[in-house]
Amino acid sequence: MSVRTIEVRERVMASNDELAARVRARLRAAGVPAFNLVSSPGAGKTLLLERTLEDLGRELRIAVVTGDVQTQNDADRLARHTDRLVQAVVTNGACHLDARQITTALDAVDLPATDLLFIENVGNLVCPASWDLGEDAKVVLFSVTEGEDKPAKYPKMFREARYVVMTKLDLLPHVGFSIEEAVAIATEVNPRLQFLFTSATEPEGLEEWYGFLRNQVRRRSAA
Amino acid sequence: MHEMSLALEIGRIAEERAGDAVGQVVTVGVEVGDGAGVEPENLAFCLEAVLATPPFRRARPVLERRAGDGLRLLYLEVDDERPDD
Repeated sequence: MSVRTIEVRERVMASNDELAARVRARLRAAGVPAFNLVSSPGAGKTLLLERTLEDLGRELRIAVVTGDVQTQNDADRLARHTDRLVQAVVTNGACHLDARQITTALDAVDLPATDLLFIENVGNLVCPASWDLGEDAKVVLFSVTEGEDKPAKYPKMFREARYVVMTKLDLLPHVGFSIEEAVAIATEVNPRLQFLFTSATEPEGLEEWYGFLRNQVRRRSAA
Repeated sequence: MHEMSLALEIGRIAEERAGDAVGQVVTVGVEVGDGAGVEPENLAFCLEAVLATPPFRRARPVLERRAGDGLRLLYLEVDDERPDD
């Protein structure tokens, strides 16, 4: 038997990353900062976005693309808080969003009339870590009802992310969660992580997050 | 969980690179980095399924574990002398 070898040496993610680079270029050209929100299911991605649309929606023109394995429930929830179109991507079993889906979803978004884009990924701390969607940064939501060692258990996601939004801080008195320990573990996994602390059920609980978003938009429109 | 998506993408690249010889591919060599966020046994299982499906005929995955976070299709081995079983 004579077997010949074809050298390939191609990155498996190459075609996704090429599409992601094009998405990134489109968003940059339009001056739209984009954040890919990732977390385990139930960390509060949709509630954070509901409040953000409600509180900043008159000040900033916010576009949202949501991904879910099944149902458009999140998009329906978010649509109640904005006049703008909320794009729903139903992945039909896939555990993550990919750059092709974002490319298609963005065709329906009026980018020149948008200040800020959120991509709400499928709730999952494993798979979405591997897919670049063309975002400026991945933002991991980390709720105080989870274990402090989540970053050690899911290191790739915390390495890929630039920001950690700690959520549900109003529940701290009930759950015995140590913020210090969680921050220390996350920082050990990725020393460059920046932390924001939130509670979406308290009136002032999202001020730090809103300040962060305003800054991002301001910086991009000045660029 | 995302290993099936990756296996399908590896199959797509392999099909593209092998061209007309896709049915004669016997080995698909894949580099899996320890930090790639991929469970190698799971990926091997998914690849076996993908490579047992036409246009592949009898290709088998060979996974090479390495340091780093690489995930690459390294090579294809093609047996031209046995065009059909």
